[in-house]
Amino acid sequence: MSAAPAPAPGAADLLAVDAVTCRFGGVVAVNEVSFAVARGELFGLIGPNGAGKTTLFNLITGLTAPTAGRLRYRGDDITGLPPHRVAERGIARTFQNVRLFGELSALDNVMIARHVRTHSGLVGGVLGMGSARREERETRDQATALLALVGLGDRFDESARNFPYGDQRRLEIARALALEPELLLLDEPAAGMNPAEKRALSDLIRSVRARLSLTILLIEHHVPLVMDLCDRIAVLNFGQLIALGAPAAVQKDPAVIEAYLGDEA
Amino acid sequence: MATFIATYDFLFVSMVLAAVLALTLYLPLMAGQLSVASPGFYALGGYIAAILSTKVFHPAPGLYPVRLVLVEMALGALVSGVLGLVVGIPALRLRGIFLALATIAFVQILGVVALNLDVTGGAIGIFGIPQPFSNQLQYLWIALPLLALSMLFVARLERTRTGRALIALREDELAAAAMGVNPTYHKVLAFTLSAMLAGAVGAVSAHFINTWNSRQGTFDTSVNLMAFVLVGGSRTFVGPVIGALILTALPEALRGVADVGGIPPWLAQFLRDGRLIIFGVLIAVGTVFFPHGLITPALLRRLGGRRRASAR
Repeated sequence: MSAAPAPAPGAADLLAVDAVTCRFGGVVAVNEVSFAVARGELFGLIGPNGAGKTTLFNLITGLTAPTAGRLRYRGDDITGLPPHRVAERGIARTFQNVRLFGELSALDNVMIARHVRTHSGLVGGVLGMGSARREERETRDQATALLALVGLGDRFDESARNFPYGDQRRLEIARALALEPELLLLDEPAAGMNPAEKRALSDLIRSVRARLSLTILLIEHHVPLVMDLCDRIAVLNFGQLIALGAPAAVQKDPAVIEAYLGDEA
Repeated sequence: MATFIATYDFLFVSMVLAAVLALTLYLPLMAGQLSVASPGFYALGGYIAAILSTKVFHPAPGLYPVRLVLVEMALGALVSGVLGLVVGIPALRLRGIFLALATIAFVQILGVVALNLDVTGGAIGIFGIPQPFSNQLQYLWIALPLLALSMLFVARLERTRTGRALIALREDELAAAAMGVNPTYHKVLAFTLSAMLAGAVGAVSAHFINTWNSRQGTFDTSVNLMAFVLVGGSRTFVGPVIGALILTALPEALRGVADVGGIPPWLAQFLRDGRLIIFGVLIAVGTVFFPHGLITPALLRRLGGRRRASAR
């Protein structure tokens, strides 16, 4: 599978990962992984701990540069772009180990992520010129609306660090959405949530996907959630792509069963 | 009261100028960057003012025109800003303590250069810098508006798109970059603004101190500025300003206490001469009991809340 030829960059593909390899010293974290995510798709990425899922996210978002291979987004080569340039192009993410701006309020956290969609300069902002003030008001309104969307509308003024863990994850989703992404990367959004919260999260992901016509790449350990949500699933093991396809097919794949789903199959 | 003001005129102006300098340390800190380069830009601004006012401008006898001081401040800010940009772009690739070390080196290099150039007067420096005011207290006409404008600038900055980007970098650089904030651009911007402000303070200080040499704006100043921020607090611009006002006034206040009659001679002696010891102890005790400084955003919110409540 890992040696499979790169998928042809079809018009429908939003993101193409083409034989991407990432080495840290002697460790191969991601080994010639290729797949493509179609526009509008909800694409799941699963695999045991240390399989290279988060590394793959870091490669796509520019936090880590790949050792080899190319990344294409909307047909453009984005390999090696710094993170802020990747974000500008409309790729937003959440982090496995929540990385909010802890001291700041929930509202500020979301407002910061409007950065690439706003344009006020230093002088205009400080002097409070008309256009900057209007933009500031719009930014605040949009951030407030996003907080309401993820169900945190009444706590916009609280410091992010005071939120319970599940709410921090939802706040991170609101922050990522503020970027107006076309591609949203969610890194274990259900981690640490109880079953009821997980169900609410599934509903949230479904509703924002439909409402904002998002393409979503989802890393998740909770297999039922992935099986339930995703259109297609890629399975990583020790940096290799070992299976790719519809949830039901992947679930029956002997390689996957051996590597990951063993006791659940 | 009049004698009190006349006695302490030098102190009042020093306090206000120190508060502006403290803000020059706060600006890069807003973006999470510990830079102690501002004494270097302060020294540069001072030399620009000293050279221009003693060798280039030849005003009529009498008081030196205030507008020329303002021109020198603008030039000091401009030149410091350009140098800040040149130094900042490579220096801000460094992180944390390495940036601090690099900026200490920068301050040292500028000091050595000033010591060895003819135009800066070498070891003697430049003296007899003309006075725009008939007494030192009147320097407040420049220092106070400068402090007010700087504080207003930073206060407004914190509530703008650019300021939020700086604060995001301070809180989590990686997450900020993933949200589209360009780290290098914003760090260099904060550093350059800090350099400009320090250059302007240096220019007015050269007139105020009357003489300028390579002992101005040294590593000692860097340490003082860090103490201002450490004691005052680094999470809101109010902290460094308060820290600078208190710590600049403290030695004189101690001397004042020592001069009050009725205290044992050894204690009076200690208050007069042991100022640095007291200073050090206060900083040590302060960091233990007020690790975030005297003034924190939470404290300001509480005060603000009470004011709003009482207004109702």
